[in-house]
Amino acid sequence: MNAGERLTDANFPAHPEKATLEGKNKFLGFWLFLGGETVLFATLFGTYLGLRNMHLDGPSGAELFSLPLVFLATMLLLTSSLTSVYAVLSLKQNKVRSLQGWFLVTLLLGLGFLGLEIYEFIHYVHEGHTFTSSAFGSAFYTLVGFHGAHVLFGILWITTLLARNWNRGITLSNAPKYYLFALYWHFVDVVWVFIFTVVYLMGKVG
Amino acid sequence: MANHTQNPETTVHRHEEIQRKLALKEERKHHNVSFVMMILLTIVAFFAIWSDKISDSFAVLFILTLAVVQVFFQLYVWMHLSHKGHDFPIWGMASGILVAAITVASLMGLIWTS
Repeated sequence: MNAGERLTDANFPAHPEKATLEGKNKFLGFWLFLGGETVLFATLFGTYLGLRNMHLDGPSGAELFSLPLVFLATMLLLTSSLTSVYAVLSLKQNKVRSLQGWFLVTLLLGLGFLGLEIYEFIHYVHEGHTFTSSAFGSAFYTLVGFHGAHVLFGILWITTLLARNWNRGITLSNAPKYYLFALYWHFVDVVWVFIFTVVYLMGKVG
Repeated sequence: MANHTQNPETTVHRHEEIQRKLALKEERKHHNVSFVMMILLTIVAFFAIWSDKISDSFAVLFILTLAVVQVFFQLYVWMHLSHKGHDFPIWGMASGILVAAITVASLMGLIWTS
């Protein structure tokens, strides 16, 4: 069977994302990538934890951070993680329209999160907290900004993935791609759990 | 199509399909439970800091524990690590987390002792 052929309910495999060798390889490779990403974020977290109190004359984290805003951003990202897992459930049932719908909701929630983060950064710059204002500033923007860049990358990824496969249905070739995007999106949420805990909540108690 | 209930092959196929539907229904339930749990963990973490009723050093330990629990839900329920055929991903993530922990500890140590 051609991997680009639209799957029907009759020939739909139990694990469409791992039904081809290419899909299996993508699956393993992606998990290896996520293990590497974990270490990469660890370097940024370690640096931030070491430098988080070195804010010189600029405002400290406890003065800057607004918990309601962070809470809202957390809820947006957490819900978007749920909607992307719903999309994977639709994938397993060969419901392509429902998959597209859930990924679109994920995309919108991701955009909302990114909007809040941009608003937050602009606000901080006005308060005198910039990338070059102190070691705290550099470490903060590197860590949180790098996570934000991951969200932006995910938004571009799902947009192009949906657009390119809009009329194709679910095939053995695009099923692994949808599945891996959902994994990536969950990972972005995993990193955010540590950011809101380590940066914002721990920043509030000094 | 009229005699598909008599055809043994389609009966087996239908049986498998029902099994799969039930499994997916169960999975959806797990996802929903894990979503509610994560929301609760997040609210508790924010409240622990917001309310200012818990001593700072205990609060930090407490919210870090909540974060670890929440990440466990993400990895095992939403990223399907609990499913079959995930031995390699589990080893990959476990070694990633191990190196990550060493990295965080040594970077903080380097900065504080210099």
